[in-house]
Amino acid sequence: MNLLATLGAAAVLTAFAAALFAVGASVYGLRAGHLRAQLAARRAIPAIAGLLTLAIALLGYALLTNDFSIAHVASVSSREMEPRFKWASLYSGQPGSLLFWTWTMSLFLAAFVRLSVPRLPWCAPHAVATAGAVLAAFLFALAFFASPFRVSAYLPADGVGLNPLLVDPGMLIHPPFLLSGLVSTSVPFTLGAAVLLAGRMDGTWLRHARAWALVSFLVLSVGNMLGGWWAYTVLGWGGYWGWDPVENSAILPLLPMIAFLHTLMVQERRGMLKLWNLVLVEASFALAVFGTFNVRSGLVSSVHSFAQSEIGPYFLVLVGLTVIASLVLITWRMPGLRADVELESLASRETGMLLNSYVMTAIALVVLGATLFPVFSELFDGSRITVSPPFYNDVVGPLLIALLALMALGVVLPWRGTARGTLLRRLRAPAIFVVAAMLALAALGMRDRFALAGTGAAIALGFVTTREYVLGTRGLRRATGRPWFAAFAALFARDQRRYGGYMVHLGIAVMAVAVIGSNIYQQQTRAAVAPGESFQVGAYTLTYNRLFAERPGRNGIEVEVKADVTVRRGDDVVATLEPGRRTFTNFPQQPVAIVAIDGSFTRDLYVFMQGWDESLTAEFQAFLNPLVRWLWLGGAIYVLGTRVALAPRRAPERAAVLAPDGALERV
Amino acid sequence: MRGRLALAGFVVLVIVAAIAFVIFLTRSGPTVPTSGDLDAQALAIERQLLCPQCTNERLDVCTLAICNDMKSLIRSRLEAGAPPDDIVLYFRNRYGDRILRQIPREGFNLVLFGWVGGSLALVALAGGAFLYRLRRPAAARPAADDTGSPADEHWLDAEIEREP
Repeated sequence: MNLLATLGAAAVLTAFAAALFAVGASVYGLRAGHLRAQLAARRAIPAIAGLLTLAIALLGYALLTNDFSIAHVASVSSREMEPRFKWASLYSGQPGSLLFWTWTMSLFLAAFVRLSVPRLPWCAPHAVATAGAVLAAFLFALAFFASPFRVSAYLPADGVGLNPLLVDPGMLIHPPFLLSGLVSTSVPFTLGAAVLLAGRMDGTWLRHARAWALVSFLVLSVGNMLGGWWAYTVLGWGGYWGWDPVENSAILPLLPMIAFLHTLMVQERRGMLKLWNLVLVEASFALAVFGTFNVRSGLVSSVHSFAQSEIGPYFLVLVGLTVIASLVLITWRMPGLRADVELESLASRETGMLLNSYVMTAIALVVLGATLFPVFSELFDGSRITVSPPFYNDVVGPLLIALLALMALGVVLPWRGTARGTLLRRLRAPAIFVVAAMLALAALGMRDRFALAGTGAAIALGFVTTREYVLGTRGLRRATGRPWFAAFAALFARDQRRYGGYMVHLGIAVMAVAVIGSNIYQQQTRAAVAPGESFQVGAYTLTYNRLFAERPGRNGIEVEVKADVTVRRGDDVVATLEPGRRTFTNFPQQPVAIVAIDGSFTRDLYVFMQGWDESLTAEFQAFLNPLVRWLWLGGAIYVLGTRVALAPRRAPERAAVLAPDGALERV
Repeated sequence: MRGRLALAGFVVLVIVAAIAFVIFLTRSGPTVPTSGDLDAQALAIERQLLCPQCTNERLDVCTLAICNDMKSLIRSRLEAGAPPDDIVLYFRNRYGDRILRQIPREGFNLVLFGWVGGSLALVALAGGAFLYRLRRPAAARPAADDTGSPADEHWLDAEIEREP
C-alpha cells in the first residue's frame, strides 16, 4: 500500500464528504433555524480548503521524491526534472490540473466565507450551501473519475516527463494564474445565487461582489496576458494570440465579468440593471465551467489540450446544470428585479455602460459559437472545419473597435445625462483631436481601414481618459493650492475606484494600438542560408554565422541546436541572436522552437529556426513585429489600474468633499 | 418623447451592429502578389493555408514533413507559372476546406455567419427592448446612491469651460 497515495485520496474523499455536509447542514440550519448547524456548515468550507491543501502538499511531495508508483507522477514527471518544473507537473495532465483547480476554488470560497459571508447574514446559509454544492461537484469528479493519487499496477524506473511545450519558465506562473482566474468566478456566482435564493434583491451584495469580481478580473487578465507572452516566446509562430479554442475558453468568462464590473455601478448609483447584473455573474461562471469541459473533453481540437480525458461529458452536464439552475432562479425572482428608477436620458453614462455590456455579450456569443462550430460542422456536414484567426479578426475586430469607441464615449457621458450644450462641449475637444490624429496617420501612410478605425478609437479613449486626469488634477490644484504631483496623487486618494478604472482604460488603449500595429504591420521573411550568408527583414540584415549544439542534461531535453546570428542595421551590429530547436528524449516527434527576440519599443525582431540540412544550411523565419513591447506595457498599466481600483468604496460623507467648494481640505 | 428616444437608441445600436457586420462582410481576404519575389509569393500562399495534421497551425510556420512537402510543391508550381489561386484550389480539393485559414463563406459554413448575424441581431433586439423598459416610468423611489457624482460631474464641466 502506498501511504502517501492513500492519505491523498482520503483527503479528497473527506473534502467531498465535507462539501456535502456544508450543503446539508446549511439547508437544515436554514429550515430549522438551527444556528449551530449553519455555523458548522460555514466551517466546513475552510476545512475543505485545508484538506485539499494537504492533498496538494502530498502530491507535490510525491513529485519531488519521484514516487512513480503514482500514475500521475509517472506520466508528467521524470528524475532529471528540476524541482521548479515539478511544480509545473503538478497542474499538468488531467488529474493534477483538476486537483489544482478544485484546490484554488476551495481557497477562494474559504476566503469568501471568512471575509464576506459574516457581513451578509441574510444570505449566509444560501451562500455556504451554494459554495458547498459547487465544491462537491468538482470533488466528485476528482474523487471518482480523475484521482491524481491512483496507484499504477507496476512501478516504472522513470517517469515520462513534462510535455515539451510546458518546459518553459512561463509555465510556472501562467497556468496557476489562469486556472485561479477561472475558478475565482465561482465567488461572484455563489454570491449571485445566494442573493437569488434568499430573495433580497437590493444592492447590498454588490459591494462584496465587486471586490471579488475585481479579484477575478485581475487574476484572469494576468493569466491571459501571461498566456499571450508564453505563446509569443515559446510557440514560434510570431504571434501572441491565435484564437485557439482553449484561449477562447479563457477569455469567455472574462467578458461578462468586465461587463458586470461596469453595470454594477449603474445598480449601485441608480438602482437599475439588477436582473442584468445577476445574469452576468451567473454567465461568467457557466462559461468558466464550459472552458473546463472544452479543455478536458477533446471535443474541440486545440494546441493546448494537455489535459484531455474521458470526463469531459461530466463537465458538460455541469455546464447544463449551472445554466438551468441560474435561469430557474432568475425567473423565480424576476418580479423583485425591476429597476428602482427610470432611465432619465439615453445620453447618460448608465446607457453607455449598458451598451458596452451588450457589445461584450455579442463578442462572447460570437466567440462561443465559433469555438464550437467545428463540432457542429463535423456532426452535420461531415467535415471538421478549423475556425482560424482571420475569421475572428474580421468579426470580433469591428466589435472590439466599437467597444473602444463606447468606452471613450462612456467616460465623456455624465451620470443621469446632461444638457445638449454641455455634452457637445465635452465631446468637442476629443472629436477634434481624434479627427486630426486620424488625418495625420492617413497622411503618414496608414491606409488599412481597420487600423485607422481601431487606432482612432484607441486615441479617443486615451484622450478622454487622460483629460479626466489632467482636469481633475488642475481642479484640485486650483482648489487646494497643492503642487501638480501632490494634486495628482490626491486625485487617486479621493476616488481610487474611478481613477484606477481609468488607468485600466488607458492600459487597454495602449494595448489596442500595440495589437493593431503588430498584427497589421507585421513583416515576415523566410530564408534558407548557408553559414556566412545573410538575409534581410525590413531594414535589418541577419547573418547566419554557425550552428552549434548544447546538451543541458535536464528536464528531458536531449539536445538544443542553436544558430549564431548577427543582426545589423546598416553597418552597426544591433544584436546577436541564438534561435534554435530543442528536442526531448521521450518526445522525439515533438521538437520545440527556441525563439530569439531582439526587442525595443518600436519593434521586435523575432527569429526562429525551422530546420537545417547536412551541409548546415539552415532555414529561418524572421518577423518584424511593431509595438509588441507596448502590449506588455499596456498590460502592466491595466494590472496596476485594477489593483488601484480594488480599494473599497468611500462612504458618502467622504465623497461629499468632491465638491469644489473649498471643503477639499477635509480629505 | 420617451418612446422616440428609446427608438433612437435602438436604431443607433442596430446601426453600430450593422456597420460592424458590413465592414466584416466587405473586408477582402488576403491577397497574394502575382508577380515579383517568388519567396514572398510562396509565403503569402502558405499563410493562407493550415497544416493538415496540426491544430490551427499555419503552414508557413509548421515544420512537419508533410508541410515541408507542401511548401516545396507551392514553390515548384509557382516556378512553373501557376496562378496563386489555382495553387490554393489544388490544396483545397486535396484536403478539403479544413486546409484553408479563411473559412469559405458558402455551404454549411454559412451557419456560422448566420450565428454571427443572429447574435448581433439578438443582442440588438433584446438590448433595445431592455433599454425601452428602463425608459418606462418605474416606481417613484429615490435613486439607490447618487452621492458624490453630480458635484464631480459639474466640476468637470467647469474645468472644461476654462479650456481655451
